Amino acid sequence: MTAPMTHDEIRDLLAAEAAGVLDPAERAALTAHLEGCAECVDELRVLNDTASLLAYSAPVAELGTDASARMRARLVARAAADRAPVAAAFPALLVNAMATEPESVIPITRARRGGWGGWLAAAASLLLLLGIGTYAGRLRARVAELESATAALRSERGRLQGRVAENERTMASLSGPDVRVVTLAGGRTAPNGRMFWDPPTGRWTFFAHNLPAVRPGREYQLWLVTADHKISAGTFRPGPRGDAMVQAEYKLDPAALQAIAVTEEPAGGLPEPSGDIVLVGATAGG
Amino acid sequence: MAAGDESALGELYDRWHPLLYSLVLSIVRDARDAEEVLEDALWQAWRQAASFNPSRGGVGSWLTSIARSRALDRVRARRRARDEVSLDEPEGAPTLASAQPGPADDTEAADVRVRVQDALALLPREQRDTMQMAYFGGLSQSEIATATGQPLGTVKTRMRLAMQKLRDTLAVLREEAP
Repeated sequence: MTAPMTHDEIRDLLAAEAAGVLDPAERAALTAHLEGCAECVDELRVLNDTASLLAYSAPVAELGTDASARMRARLVARAAADRAPVAAAFPALLVNAMATEPESVIPITRARRGGWGGWLAAAASLLLLLGIGTYAGRLRARVAELESATAALRSERGRLQGRVAENERTMASLSGPDVRVVTLAGGRTAPNGRMFWDPPTGRWTFFAHNLPAVRPGREYQLWLVTADHKISAGTFRPGPRGDAMVQAEYKLDPAALQAIAVTEEPAGGLPEPSGDIVLVGATAGG
Repeated sequence: MAAGDESALGELYDRWHPLLYSLVLSIVRDARDAEEVLEDALWQAWRQAASFNPSRGGVGSWLTSIARSRALDRVRARRRARDEVSLDEPEGAPTLASAQPGPADDTEAADVRVRVQDALALLPREQRDTMQMAYFGGLSQSEIATATGQPLGTVKTRMRLAMQKLRDTLAVLREEAP
């Protein structure tokens, strides 16, 4: 039987937990320990908040104004509809309210004083109220379903419109009058690639073929090489046949680009190239 | 929001979507996927608002954790689908590893970005790489060990030291964070 982990051993796990990479067995041990250790709970909270700040090191990206407004509207509409199922319990709420609110009690109280006619009227009123309540509840639930379906359809329409617009941008970035083409070739193997760069829009579209499969935990990284910097244009993995396409947006002085290169790096990429060059191509002026 | 007020979700969106979108896009590297993941993550936050536990971290910590987790799930699902279908599907649209503030970056966020970048720059490169592979790549410590050819113990030590240094360097930012 494995001995339980000590407090110090558990503390060593907190950093990995905050970074979200703790192995399941270790997480189970940590979770059990946290039940009775306020010190480790506090430390994990601090490390969680620290790790969350890493999000600020992500490259800044902007969701388009229209797309952002649509997403916000969808979320708020879905949230409003999400509250509607509460209305499905309306009849029960109504009955409870009648039992507690003085105004609702009045018909029944009057019925006790008024004989059979009053009883029947009260019973009819109660049935009517329950019937209306049931109907209203069903109606509201149905409205909620329709709102949810509408939100889903809007979401799908937005997604499809986004794809169409993306395809149009891709076509423009391949066929525009100012598009430049850089051809890349490999070394001993036979991979090859071609970069289409549209300087006015800053759109880069890269195609590669015959790339060897990357090792586990590694990816290819695409670089825009200038005299002073090697700018990452993202990481990628080729498909089973060694083909890949990468798109990126980055404004660069047309005279600054000297070469395009692809290296193999750890998954997620690195700030500077460190691996072997798999593909490289110099610009006409580079 | 825990009380179910949908306007709170709108406010949450306004406050956090620029950061969360940048985070998600840097992981999934495809604009369409990033939009879907961001929306899913915010919806999940709305549905699970009652489970938010301040003793485990602030709102930012909670939201980035949800968004990062959903983004990594999307990347893994995409890889599984590609492997199963065996088609040469193109990869998505990676963003550039530029830390330049963009139009969506308000002054406060831009200031935080600079300070986080500075804190990362202070780390030894191997510690910084380990952190970034874990946080943005979603690699476990064992996978990082395989990818870098380093012993697992070394990877764990790098991770721990990196987090401790960032913890100290970013103490002020952390206290200011919501």
